[in-house]
Amino acid sequence: MRELRTSLWSVSFFALGYLLPGTLRFPTLTYDPVARTVGFTAQVSSIAMRYYGDLLWACAAGLCAAVVVWNSRRPPRPVGVLAGAALSLVALDVAFYLSRLLAGV
Amino acid sequence: MTVLFEGSARVLLLVHAVLGFTAVFATTHHAVSAFLATIGRPVQRQLQRFGWMASASIVAQALFGLLLYPAYRVRVRFADLERNAPAVVQLFDFKEHLSALALALVVGASFAGRALPADAPAAESRALAALSGCGAALVWAAALIGLYVTARHPVGTP
Repeated sequence: MRELRTSLWSVSFFALGYLLPGTLRFPTLTYDPVARTVGFTAQVSSIAMRYYGDLLWACAAGLCAAVVVWNSRRPPRPVGVLAGAALSLVALDVAFYLSRLLAGV
Repeated sequence: MTVLFEGSARVLLLVHAVLGFTAVFATTHHAVSAFLATIGRPVQRQLQRFGWMASASIVAQALFGLLLYPAYRVRVRFADLERNAPAVVQLFDFKEHLSALALALVVGASFAGRALPADAPAAESRALAALSGCGAALVWAAALIGLYVTARHPVGTP
């Protein structure tokens, strides 16, 4: 089923695209709610927010993966493998953020 | 100092909460329908109906959450929680990450569920059920953490 495979690839790349920019400190869209300024930087001040930018990175990665897979003519991979990979990447993200939560408490 | 959408933060919070409850119930129904599909029940109509409800409600909820975020950041997080309850700050950050991942899972499961045929192979039904079930679990977790943080200090109040 093309829709399911596209969704699974998209979720996988979304999970990667969400985790990597924040942890590797890629430059991203930031917003300072006090100064009300938008920037594109890897260095974020304490009040500025990089959540919007990280979410944009993830959405872009997921959408790009969806477009590529939807138009791909390569033989499809087994759906069980794709589902396992997608949910493992999501679990990796959850485990990483949970570890940060527990370390900070 | 004025923060973006600060004046309408309480209205935005109410809409965000209502959409959150809608997302919780729609994603749960979608996950249950997807699990029923794995045992051969004819649930294509439910998957289509709850699929668009779940994806529309979670996207709308996320948008309202993003609008609220600057007011939360300045008036709740920095003005109160960072000094008085730093653990709650960490918990809210965790909730934001769960919400983002839930968004991808729910939209993906809804898109895939709309096209699941009645005679789908078992592996495909199971994959959809796993996708939808994980999405619903993350939405529930995010909703419960969101309620806890809001009970502590709602955005839009001094």
